[in-house]
Amino acid sequence: MNLTTKEIITWCPGCPNFLILESVKKALEKIKREDIAIVTGIGCHGKIFDYLNVSGIYGLHGRVIPTATGIKLGNPNLKVLGFAGDGDTYSEGMAHFIHAGRFNPDMTLIVHDNQSFSLTTGQPTPTTQQGYESKASPLGEFNKPFNPIKLALASGMGFIARCNARDINHTAEILRVAIKHKGFSFVEVIQDCLIFNIEINNKDKMMYKIKDNLDKKIAEKLAEEWDYNSKKGKIPIGIIYHEEKPSLEDKWPQLKNLKKKKVGWKSLK
Amino acid sequence: MKINILIGGKAGQGINKVSEIVSKILVDQGYFTFNYRDYPSLIRGGHNFNVLCVSDKRVGSYESELDIIVAMDEKTILLHKGSLKKSGIIIGSKSFEKLGRNLNIALAGVLIKLLGINKNILIEHVKKEFDNKETIDAAEKGFASQEKKFDFRKLNNKISIMTGSVGISQGAVNSEIDLYLSYPMTPSTGVMHDLASRQVENNLMVFQPENEIAAVNMGLGASFAGAKTMIGTSGGGYDLMTEGLSFQGMSEIPLVVYLSSRPGPGTGVPTYSSQADLNVALRGGHGESPRVVIAPGDPIECVEKTNEAFYLAEKFNTLSIILGDKHLAESEFSSDEKPNKIIPVKVNRKVPGESIVKASSYEHDKFGNTTESAEITKDNADKRIEKYKKIKEECKKFEMIKIHGKKNSKNLVIGWGSTKTVILDAIEREDFKFLQVLYMKPLSDEIKNEIQKAKKVILVEQNVTGQLGRLLREKTGLKIENKILKYDGRPFTCDELKERLMK
Repeated sequence: MNLTTKEIITWCPGCPNFLILESVKKALEKIKREDIAIVTGIGCHGKIFDYLNVSGIYGLHGRVIPTATGIKLGNPNLKVLGFAGDGDTYSEGMAHFIHAGRFNPDMTLIVHDNQSFSLTTGQPTPTTQQGYESKASPLGEFNKPFNPIKLALASGMGFIARCNARDINHTAEILRVAIKHKGFSFVEVIQDCLIFNIEINNKDKMMYKIKDNLDKKIAEKLAEEWDYNSKKGKIPIGIIYHEEKPSLEDKWPQLKNLKKKKVGWKSLK
Repeated sequence: MKINILIGGKAGQGINKVSEIVSKILVDQGYFTFNYRDYPSLIRGGHNFNVLCVSDKRVGSYESELDIIVAMDEKTILLHKGSLKKSGIIIGSKSFEKLGRNLNIALAGVLIKLLGINKNILIEHVKKEFDNKETIDAAEKGFASQEKKFDFRKLNNKISIMTGSVGISQGAVNSEIDLYLSYPMTPSTGVMHDLASRQVENNLMVFQPENEIAAVNMGLGASFAGAKTMIGTSGGGYDLMTEGLSFQGMSEIPLVVYLSSRPGPGTGVPTYSSQADLNVALRGGHGESPRVVIAPGDPIECVEKTNEAFYLAEKFNTLSIILGDKHLAESEFSSDEKPNKIIPVKVNRKVPGESIVKASSYEHDKFGNTTESAEITKDNADKRIEKYKKIKEECKKFEMIKIHGKKNSKNLVIGWGSTKTVILDAIEREDFKFLQVLYMKPLSDEIKNEIQKAKKVILVEQNVTGQLGRLLREKTGLKIENKILKYDGRPFTCDELKERLMK
């Protein structure tokens, strides 16, 4: 299945977003193209919308999760993937991220985390390390970054994974499992930005692959291993936590009915 | 025959039940009723009151002079006895205090006796709703405690009661709505409650997201996937939604929005009424894109106009806003009319699952992919304006304005939304023509002609700046000098408006 479009790719040369695009294409290989719907936010990551020949919405900054949840409410049979940035998800869209764990829509969120607002020329995001100097923070970033994996665990998400953008095959494999997971699956992809916030780049040596983990206590420990603030410590890569929970589509009788009949609202009445 | 009954007490005492029982019985007897609800933003205590106006003719307002006060506490008497007519009656609750939670039923019994209605009708009604001995005894006790004062004998009218909220949700159900998304906010919540209560049997879904920003973006996502979707909110919630309304303009995903206004700015006066959100309904959201704004004036129009809003949204992939307020949403109106025939609403567009469909918040080419081309940017902007012209043509099929009162009068009253019914009551038998504006956007071309034909034009609005007047001036170049504006959160009473009109 060819998911490529004719659009000229406008990411910077060498940007890891190219690698994420390849991983996504691999992960989607065996899914019927018409059944896929993607939602993207605004930021460098969002350009992926133009490069994938599938249905979708190029949404607003910070609103990937509600827009994607809406698609599931409209037709729960669609395979929905949300692409968002770190600023997108953890700054503008934070409320939605937390509630995704509670509502548990059966969709996958892929966060391209380069620890920087890059499309707006390098301002700090909530995952930027302390001391980072940018045009917006010439005195250096004062705040410690927050840890999205810990927050995801606290929000009750049933699938939490972390990937390395540079490892195309491993990312594709994790994405396949995430898409199959019934409920909200959160995949954080660590990527470098080659132009802004370069001092936090090149963390491959800190990364190590873990076995799929089903234990919450271990997940909490894994989440603590890296604080996003330094290039010290270890960065676990893989499925940090996996637990099946009733999804939005399982909880609502109206959505269950649509799933049973394999239709969206349009074809129901 | 027309009387006004005030029923007052603390929140939680059940004053709504009194007016509900009495108005249901009166409507069964063939009388028109109008019930205004006045309550502060608290759950228990405070002072709530309803004013129930009863008439043998159509009525859509109440009067400031009262015939009866039903007081469930001392405060009610203290606050309202100044409004009681000389011949008026106060019904206290002291002698019924032992009845506990059935106090309100006893008071309903007192009122039914006063109005001269048969006891059997009361008992039958109470039995139907509460099948227990104490409640029925309370109704009987109340009935026995008074002498008949009025003579509301049975008339031959077929009347039903509806709130604006129920009208809007009925209009949505008639349009075969699939999904309603709303974050609780007075006074829009009535629609959410009504639709939620009948979601299963009507095969629809009511979902409460984390906030209004989520509601609007979810709404667009769901509609994109093929669901007929409406979202509902009030003032501040609408402000949060405006990024999504602008997004609708670019993505052209059909969306219906219910905006029920209350006095602002800020949190304002949450449980009272205002027409100050017309400007934001017309313009809220950045950029330039078409939209429809319709303001129904009574529950029957709520049913009809909500259906039209859905129809237009689907036909033109546009944004339709239904603009109401607390007075329309929560007052109980009676009518002997039936809404127009339902317009079928069909989703004819391609949706994901069937083929590849792309929608975008960015300017985009015909495939839905992002573009920064000067040519496409300009062409798309032109197309959006062209679309608006087509929408306007289509709207002409519907009643964009209504002319009421004396058709040949040279005195023209202009109003919109919830002031409709009080204007109708105030101009009855007087030398006035009343132009009711229902479509605020697009605006009817006939309005200019009507203004030019009139000798005296009076604008009636419930806001401080005369927002419709400003809109009319923008669109017609005509300035309306005479304005009757009210902005204390309370609706016009019939006598108050009449006095101001006759000045």
